[in-house]
Amino acid sequence: MSTTLTPAATGTPGRGPLRPPSWGMPTLGSLGLAAAVALPWLVNGYVIALAATALVMAVLAMSAQLLVGWAGLSPLGQAAYLLVGAYTAASVATVTSLGPVQLLAATAAGAIAAVLTGWLAVRARGITFLMVTFGLGELVHAAANQWAPGGSEGIHIAPVVALPGLPAMVRPGWVYLYVLACTLVVGAAVAVLVRTRFALLLRGIAAHEPRVQAAGHHTGRLLLAAYTIAGGIAGASGALVIAVTRYVSPADAAMGVSALALAAALIGSGSMTGACAGAFLLVAARDWASGLLGGHGPTLLGLCFLLLAYLPRRRLAGLTLRLSGRRT
Amino acid sequence: MGLNVLVGPYTITALDGVAYGLLLFTIAAGLTLIVGVAGVFSLAHGTLYLAGAYLAWHLADGGWGGLALALAVAVVLGTLGGVGLAVVVRPLVDRPLDQVLATLGIAYIAADQFSRVFGAEPRSVDPPRAVAGSVSLGDYQYPIYRLLFIAIGLVVVVGLFWLVERSRAGAIVRAVVADPGMAAATGLRTGAVRAGVLVGGAVLAVTAGVLGAPVIGPSPGVDTTVLVYSLIVCVVGGLGSIRGALLAALGVGQTLTLGVAIAPGAAAFILAAAMLAALTVRQRTTIPGQPA
Repeated sequence: MSTTLTPAATGTPGRGPLRPPSWGMPTLGSLGLAAAVALPWLVNGYVIALAATALVMAVLAMSAQLLVGWAGLSPLGQAAYLLVGAYTAASVATVTSLGPVQLLAATAAGAIAAVLTGWLAVRARGITFLMVTFGLGELVHAAANQWAPGGSEGIHIAPVVALPGLPAMVRPGWVYLYVLACTLVVGAAVAVLVRTRFALLLRGIAAHEPRVQAAGHHTGRLLLAAYTIAGGIAGASGALVIAVTRYVSPADAAMGVSALALAAALIGSGSMTGACAGAFLLVAARDWASGLLGGHGPTLLGLCFLLLAYLPRRRLAGLTLRLSGRRT
Repeated sequence: MGLNVLVGPYTITALDGVAYGLLLFTIAAGLTLIVGVAGVFSLAHGTLYLAGAYLAWHLADGGWGGLALALAVAVVLGTLGGVGLAVVVRPLVDRPLDQVLATLGIAYIAADQFSRVFGAEPRSVDPPRAVAGSVSLGDYQYPIYRLLFIAIGLVVVVGLFWLVERSRAGAIVRAVVADPGMAAATGLRTGAVRAGVLVGGAVLAVTAGVLGAPVIGPSPGVDTTVLVYSLIVCVVGGLGSIRGALLAALGVGQTLTLGVAIAPGAAAFILAAAMLAALTVRQRTTIPGQPA
C-alpha cells in the first residue's frame, strides 16, 4: 500500500494546522485507557461482552494490518489462524485453565499454521494473494468442520483463570479486563515490532519490491516471516475468543470474520491504532447497531463494506496518520 | 454384462463428479472471464448462483413450464445483476481491493436478505417430473436428471468454447485478456467488453443456479461454498482461460465426489495441493490488466 506512505512524506513544517500538540496523543491515550479500564463499572453486561468481542477483533485486525499496512498484501483468510489458535487454546484448556498459557500456546500454533501455509501464500501478490489466502482460510474452515473435536457443533471450554491462585473468571467484567490486558500486551509487542528495521523492509517491499531485492534482501523470506508473525497474532486472538465466549466452533473462521479483519485494516489505512478503531466500528455496526435496528447485522456490515469501498482512501489515510502522529 | 464390468460404485461416483464438475465449470467459466477480462474480483459470484437456486425453488412446479419460466427469469435476473455489478464497480477501476469490498458488501446484504425471505433451512428442489426418476446402469440406479444435466453441461461447454475461441466476440474478449492496452489502442471499446463479460458471467451463474438446484440445493452458505470452489477452479485453471477452467472444474468435481468417497476428509487438502501446484508452475501469477 504505497498510498499509506505518501501522506507522511508531505508533512512539511508550517503546513497541517490539524496536527495535535505534542502532549495531545499521550493525554488522549491515557484518558482512553482509563475509560477502557473503568468500562465494566459504567455499562451493562451486554455492552461489556460486546467490548470484549471488539477487542478480540482488534487483535485480529492488527494481524491483518501487519500484512496490509506494512507488507502491502491483503489477506482474506486471517480467521483461519484465529481458529487454529482457538482450538489449540481449547485443547490446552483441558489441561490447565491458566489463560496466559493458553494464549502462548495459541500464538505458537497460529504462527506454525501460518508458516506451513504461508510459503504457498507469499508466492502470490496483489489480488492473487487475496484469492489464495481466501482459499486457504476456507480450506481450514472445511477441515475444522470435518476433523475438529465437536465437529460443526463446536466445543465448550471451562472459564479461564487469569493468574495462578485467582478464581476462574465467570463475570463478563473480569473477562473483559483480562482480554483488555492481553490486547494491550499484544499491542505493545506489535508497537515494538513496527518500529524495527524488519518493518521498514516490509514497507520497502510494499513500495517497490525489486529495489529491496536488488539491495540483497530475500523478499520471499521476509514476507513469510511477516505472514508467520501475523498468523501468531491471529492465533493469540483465538485464545481470547474462547476466553470471551468459552466456546469454539468452525463458524469462528467464517469468511465474514476474515473480511471484517481486512476491512478494519483498510479503514485504519496503514496504522495499527486505525485498524483497532476500524474493528471497534465494524463490531459496533454488526452487533450493536443491528440490534437496535431489528437484527440485520450482515446487511449493516455489507453496507459498511460498500461505503468503505467508495470512501476516498487517501484522504482517510491522511487523517489517521496525522492523528496518530506516526513517524515513518 | 459388459456394463457390469464398467459400472462399479466408484464409476457411479465418478459420474456424479462429472455432473458436479460441469456445474462448477458453468459457474467458474463466468468468474474466470470476469476476473481475467473485466479485472473484477467478484465475491458476489456465489450469490448469483444462490439467487438462481432460490429462483428454481420458488418457481419449480414439477413440470417443464416452471423450469422454462425459471430459466427465463434467470436470464433477466442475470442481466440485471451483471449490469448492476458493472455499475457498482465502474468507479472502482484500478482499485481491486475496493472492488473486493464492494462485491463482498453486496454478497453480505444479499445473503442476509435471502435468509430473511427464504428462511435458514436448506430447501430441496425437485427436477421436473418427466425426468425425476432414475435409470439402471448395471446394478445401480442413477437419477435421470443428473444424466440430463451432464448433457446440458456438455452443451454449455461446447457453446462457450465456440463463443470464446471461434466467434468474433470471443476474439475480442481474448484480445482484451491478452493485452488490454493494445486492444484499446486498436479501437476496441474495452469498457463495453468488460461490461459485456460481467453480464455474460452473471447470466451463466444465475442459469447454473436454476439448472443446478437439484444438484447443489439452495441453503444459506451455499453462496460461499460455490464461490470458494469457483475460485479454486479459477486459480488452478488460470485466470481468463476457458480450457483451463474446464479441466480444473472436472478435476475439482472428481476430487469432491470420488476423492471424498475414497479418502473422506482429504478432499480439502487435495484441492489445496492443486492450488499450490498451479501457483508453483505459474509463479507470481498476475491478472491481465491489473497491477500486480
